[in-house]
Amino acid sequence: MEGSDEGVERVVDSKDLQQQSKAFDKLTDRVEDRQLDSSRVQEAMASIAASSEADWQAMRKREKELAAVKINAADVDIIANELELDKKVAERTLREHKGDAVAAIRHLLR
Amino acid sequence: MGASLPPKEANLFKLIVKSYETKQYKKGLKAADAILKKFPDHGETLSMKGLTLNCMDRKSEAYELVRQGLKNDLKSHVCWHVYGLLYRSDREYREAIKCYRNALKIDPDNIEILRDLSLLQAQMRDLTGFVETRQQLLTLKSNHRMNWIGFAVAHHLNSNASKAIEILEAYEGTLEDDYPPENERCEHGEMLLYKISLLEECGFFQKALEELQKKELKIVDKLAYKEQEVSLLVKLAHLEEGEKLYRKLLSMNPDNYRYYEGLQKCVGLYSENGHYSLDEIDQLDALYRTLGQQYKWSSAVKRIPLDFLQGDKFQEAANNYIRPLLTKGIPSLFSDLSSLYNQPGKADILEQIILEIESSIKTTSQYPGGMEKEPPSTLMWTLFLLAQHYDRRGQYEIALSKINEAIDHTPTVIDLYSVKSRILKHAGDLVAAAAFADEARCMDLADRYVNSECVKRMLQADQVALAEKTAVLFTKDGDQHNNLHDMQCMWYELAGAESYFRQGNLGMALKKFLSVEKHYADITEDQFDFHSYCLRKMTLHTYVEMLKFQDQLHSHAYFHKAAAGAIRCYIELHDSPPKLTTEEDNDLSKLLPSQKKKMRQKQRKAEARAKKEAEEKNEESSAGGISKSGKRHAKPVDPDPCGEKLLQVEDPLLEATKYLKLLQKNSPDSLETHFLSFELYMRKQRILLAFQAVKQLLRLDAEHPDSHRCLIKFFNKVGSMIAPVTDSEKLIWSVLEAERQTISQLHGKSLFETNNSFLEKHEDSLTHRAAFGETLYILDPNRRSEAVKLIEGSPNNIVPTNGVLGPIREWKLIDCVAVHKLLGTVLVDQDAALRWKVRCAELFPYSTYFEGSRSSASPNSAFNQIRKSSENGSSNHSVGDHNAESGTSNGKLEAFKDLTI
Repeated sequence: MEGSDEGVERVVDSKDLQQQSKAFDKLTDRVEDRQLDSSRVQEAMASIAASSEADWQAMRKREKELAAVKINAADVDIIANELELDKKVAERTLREHKGDAVAAIRHLLR
Repeated sequence: MGASLPPKEANLFKLIVKSYETKQYKKGLKAADAILKKFPDHGETLSMKGLTLNCMDRKSEAYELVRQGLKNDLKSHVCWHVYGLLYRSDREYREAIKCYRNALKIDPDNIEILRDLSLLQAQMRDLTGFVETRQQLLTLKSNHRMNWIGFAVAHHLNSNASKAIEILEAYEGTLEDDYPPENERCEHGEMLLYKISLLEECGFFQKALEELQKKELKIVDKLAYKEQEVSLLVKLAHLEEGEKLYRKLLSMNPDNYRYYEGLQKCVGLYSENGHYSLDEIDQLDALYRTLGQQYKWSSAVKRIPLDFLQGDKFQEAANNYIRPLLTKGIPSLFSDLSSLYNQPGKADILEQIILEIESSIKTTSQYPGGMEKEPPSTLMWTLFLLAQHYDRRGQYEIALSKINEAIDHTPTVIDLYSVKSRILKHAGDLVAAAAFADEARCMDLADRYVNSECVKRMLQADQVALAEKTAVLFTKDGDQHNNLHDMQCMWYELAGAESYFRQGNLGMALKKFLSVEKHYADITEDQFDFHSYCLRKMTLHTYVEMLKFQDQLHSHAYFHKAAAGAIRCYIELHDSPPKLTTEEDNDLSKLLPSQKKKMRQKQRKAEARAKKEAEEKNEESSAGGISKSGKRHAKPVDPDPCGEKLLQVEDPLLEATKYLKLLQKNSPDSLETHFLSFELYMRKQRILLAFQAVKQLLRLDAEHPDSHRCLIKFFNKVGSMIAPVTDSEKLIWSVLEAERQTISQLHGKSLFETNNSFLEKHEDSLTHRAAFGETLYILDPNRRSEAVKLIEGSPNNIVPTNGVLGPIREWKLIDCVAVHKLLGTVLVDQDAALRWKVRCAELFPYSTYFEGSRSSASPNSAFNQIRKSSENGSSNHSVGDHNAESGTSNGKLEAFKDLTI
């Protein structure tokens, strides 16, 4: 149901503007997708190998390490308030600096 | 579907969907109504009807119906999808994404929903999500070309160009050997160029070159092919081949500076900083002489040598360049030469050349050493060039004498009045500048360029009403406000906003600054439809460039001006809140009850009248929408035509912060960004953020007067704070203690000592002395007279020059104006301010600010004397009268004819 929110009839009073309006409207016209040859497609799909597994594992390990860091909840509030940041950002930065509020703030002031 | 329909109604439902997709909304509405007659609570039909109404500008009805539909059928993916589409049309992208995700929970493999989701992810630059969604689409429908392309582009945007190459190659593997058919040659060619640019981006230059040459026959865009090939050859250091190809490109377009630059690189004669050894200069000169023989009609080949030639060779080449253009009467010659003024010594040589030409033509009607008679116009264009030259060098009296001489010579040339206007603007007489720009405009009423230039000068002179009247001459239907806003005419809105700001009308200033910000928001939204369009058309390289441009959109200078202006307005609002309410309350409390009643009645009547007038104004602007076809095109009524509601903002600093964050993200290398950040966060008591601003200022230019001001102000404030008590204060204190060690200006010094060493470094500079004086006063208000004395004692040295006509002094008008304001409002020494004004009136005789003797603000100036005599001796005419007249008359040439120097 991809559609347009611009299709309302427009009042124009010159041919140039009419043509402009039509051409712009054409931008969001419904058009069928081009089809490809099926047998060749099967071969091509096989060649696209998933390589995201390793990335995902590395990210998970990193998140685990960060979650283990002990932080002071009051520090999160102070950083979020003074630097006008989202609390999640403040918390993550604090974890990345092993709970050292001064180091975290100095990093954020970079 | 949650509640299935009988076959007849199910077909009608399909018709609704098809009508929506093909934008036949009335037909869709009819079908929906037919279904709802029998099934009035059918959720999906209600939703689709709402969506259709949304496309017919019936938004409130649309939301009502869609929400009702969703409530009736919470487990329908159609209802959730429609709700998302509705949010999307209102640019509520985050909400729309939530709706799409809910829809996908119900129908995980729905192609349409996944496609719509991917569009939103691209718009929001959720690139990881975008890759995932495109991958899912490719897996589900791998025989659709667009899904391959979309997946490749997603990886490219997600910084994985090599993966994108892999996907495009797999896609190519699906094609027949004789692909593409004739009607798809352009699309396929664009895809190939895109793939090759990816290979280049990954550093696989050799492979890219081989691929490019292998696919030459399939690439339709031959220019892009050649440019890509030459770029790869240079990167592979195949310089001989590169040279040949650049020469071929030059034969196609000998005025493309990039081709000349590329050719220079291939022959080993290119320098990034424009500095060349004597030997290199000789080689370059020989190269360009040869090229000049080949491309006789190219102006680039004659102009580029002026950039690298020096001394006598420069003089000779410049002479040869200038003379034919003066003879031909090229008005843009000075603009062409102006970049040379940034190089040492060349301005003096140019001055010498042009003066010799002037002298020779006046005496012999020939160029120096020339054999042919020059037409009379050559002298006029020479004077025109000289006027611009002296204007650039800040010698406004000489510039004005030259332009006046040119006007005497040929009074009907429009460019002469435009340049005179610009000279007067630089000299500080904005009123006279506007008058001469209007004179130029009246000489060609059909040229919008001179009209716009005139409007801008009027706005600079704070003649807003007159500027509006003048601008209306070129707007559609004479509807100036709406038309210029609709056409995103940002220069006009910015100049108007700055004028209102200078006049203290913060409401209108804010309204116009925020209008510009809205244009940028609209431009950001404009990319949305192209996420699917460009994949279909395969214009991938341009699409990716557009996305990168959009990511940098708010770095544009106009946005910076608008955001900075808005922030200044909000700071002003914070420092001086509108007093209307409190004053009225005070007045009321002193009155007797019966008088209070009368006062309130008067107030209500006045409010009613103002409201009625505003409504009439809106009605008029709405009525303007009736076109020749007789249909009424209703325009949304402006809810705040004079910006009064903007003044009622509850927390101005909070509003300012929104725009500041955009500046910090997009203009981090601008001193102004961090200066405003400092001013804002100091007021908000955000010590650490104010400190961050100081750090950024020092990073960019530690010696700038504003950087110094902020440094001293910040640590003076910190030093005056009481010892920390709360955890928050202690933490802040610890951070500042640690950071202070990194600031070299403060090492082992008190603030007074830091201030003094700043002065020692910059004692010859007026702007630095002013900064020192201000900070000295801040540190110790008792030393005000010392601060004033230091500022007044600033030297105004003569700039070293070989100029034969008068000295150029260091002080600039804008800096002297700033010092005057400093003396009057910060140091509050009115005597000093008056002395400064008198002194600067002599240095800048055309400045209306200082009421110089030759400015239109001076009662004794020639400008006003002439006006009196031309008014048949009548007195008491203000400058305002003149301004009003010039808007309606056909020019005031007579009034300025005898303006003397």
